[in-house]
Amino acid sequence: MNIQIFPLLAVGCLNWLEMDKAFLYNRMCFYREKISSKISVSRALIAARALCEKCRSQFLLHCTGGGEKLAKERKKQLNEFSFLIDGAKYIIDNPKMAVMWVIGGLLIWLAIKKDFEPALLLPMGFGAILVNLPLPGVVGDDSVTGIVQWLYHVGIEASEAMPLLLFVGIGAMIDFGPLLSNPRMLLFGGAAQFGIFFTVVMAVLLGFPLEDAMSAGVIGAADGPTSIMVAQRLHSNYFGAITVAAYSYMALVPIIQPMAIKLVTTKHERQIRMPYNPANVSKTTRILFPIIVTIIAGLIAPDSVALVGFLMFGNLIRESGCLDNLMQTAQGPLANLITIFLGITISFQMRAEAFLSWGTILIMCLGLVAFVVDTIGGVLFAKLLNLFLPKDKKINPMVGGAGISAFPMSARVIQKMALKEDNQNHLLMHAVGANVAGQIGSVVAGGIILSLAGMWFK
Amino acid sequence: MNLISVLLPAFKSAMGEVSQLDISRSLELMGKGMLGILVVMVLIFLVIKGLNTVTGSKKKD
Repeated sequence: MNIQIFPLLAVGCLNWLEMDKAFLYNRMCFYREKISSKISVSRALIAARALCEKCRSQFLLHCTGGGEKLAKERKKQLNEFSFLIDGAKYIIDNPKMAVMWVIGGLLIWLAIKKDFEPALLLPMGFGAILVNLPLPGVVGDDSVTGIVQWLYHVGIEASEAMPLLLFVGIGAMIDFGPLLSNPRMLLFGGAAQFGIFFTVVMAVLLGFPLEDAMSAGVIGAADGPTSIMVAQRLHSNYFGAITVAAYSYMALVPIIQPMAIKLVTTKHERQIRMPYNPANVSKTTRILFPIIVTIIAGLIAPDSVALVGFLMFGNLIRESGCLDNLMQTAQGPLANLITIFLGITISFQMRAEAFLSWGTILIMCLGLVAFVVDTIGGVLFAKLLNLFLPKDKKINPMVGGAGISAFPMSARVIQKMALKEDNQNHLLMHAVGANVAGQIGSVVAGGIILSLAGMWFK
Repeated sequence: MNLISVLLPAFKSAMGEVSQLDISRSLELMGKGMLGILVVMVLIFLVIKGLNTVTGSKKKD
């Protein structure tokens, strides 16, 4: 088609429906003269008519107020592709989810760059992003069960299986030898739980319901599985925040503890030397210890028996001396497998709607208070004992601070601090004794809280 | 306790109303909790001492 026909076609299209045919013919003749086309007007008119027929329906719709219909039709066509932008629209409507991505990113950064409990914080950070994506995905809804929801239900909500199984691995890793050879360190494992109960009172004064206050207090146990179990059993609204706080502050022990210890000790006290003369510990004692501790805990704090029992079961496997394969499996593959899924599973409670609140910020602050007061509690108790001990048997108060159960990090921190004050002062074995005592103390504290909660919230 | 009951209605905390019952229970928890831990630790201490005494004559592991 000659290019010069287009102006004629355009005129024809525009006027076809509204103009008289003779008038249109005259107009087209006029344009043909203007462009000096050699094409006959009748050919141009036929072409214009064909074109107009094609767009007639749409043109009519437009001219007869059918715009709305057309708009609906177009919207329908667009909706077929809306799945591509639904997710983005959901995030715009729920910006809290994007905030959780940032928090997840922060946890991953802390894990990778700062080496803060990477085994837990990295899966939790990724999980925080995973569970804050729009639509059912891993979280599920009324009709679908998401994988993270399922893991949470089966692994934590229904039976607390994950934290308990992790305790088998932890028990298999712990050597109670330093405690068995120096059992007075048990007292520090008890005293350094004071922060738990102090924090419960503080949380209540801040207006938290008692169940949430108790759960927040257990952050001071410096023991992730215990915190998870107590918060879950008490159906705390701040489960996610409590878990994040428990693991984050455990990673921050090398920063928190020296600061807290220096607050309540003098340089002279930190320089007290403690010779290490371990008593003989027989294999029978090592084997009987986990069994007897389980029975005592079961009789006095029955709610702690699951935690204590699994911890001591792992330790019995270790000390039996005839189950090396099981011990290695518990220490390695079992603990690692549970750790991988525990972080992701916990993140189920890091959904934006449950996690982002003023309460979460307060819980994080309370967790810090719990850690600091725990440490101070242990240190002050050691100072109290020193009042009654002869000069050559004084206890370095820093050892009391190791009574929190962040095992073995707390013991290492105390050793490092002792060497900093006096490069010949080796407190590691004493601190390890207090530290493993703290592991028992924190579990018993969790059990006592659950027992009393059971009485109050029947 | 009287002072608490007078002051409490006027006190609204960061998270809302503070329950007097919760305060008394939290203090009770502190007392019973620390006592419970102390009892458990003392018992375990005695058990270890006993075990070490009974089995201590055996060779060092």
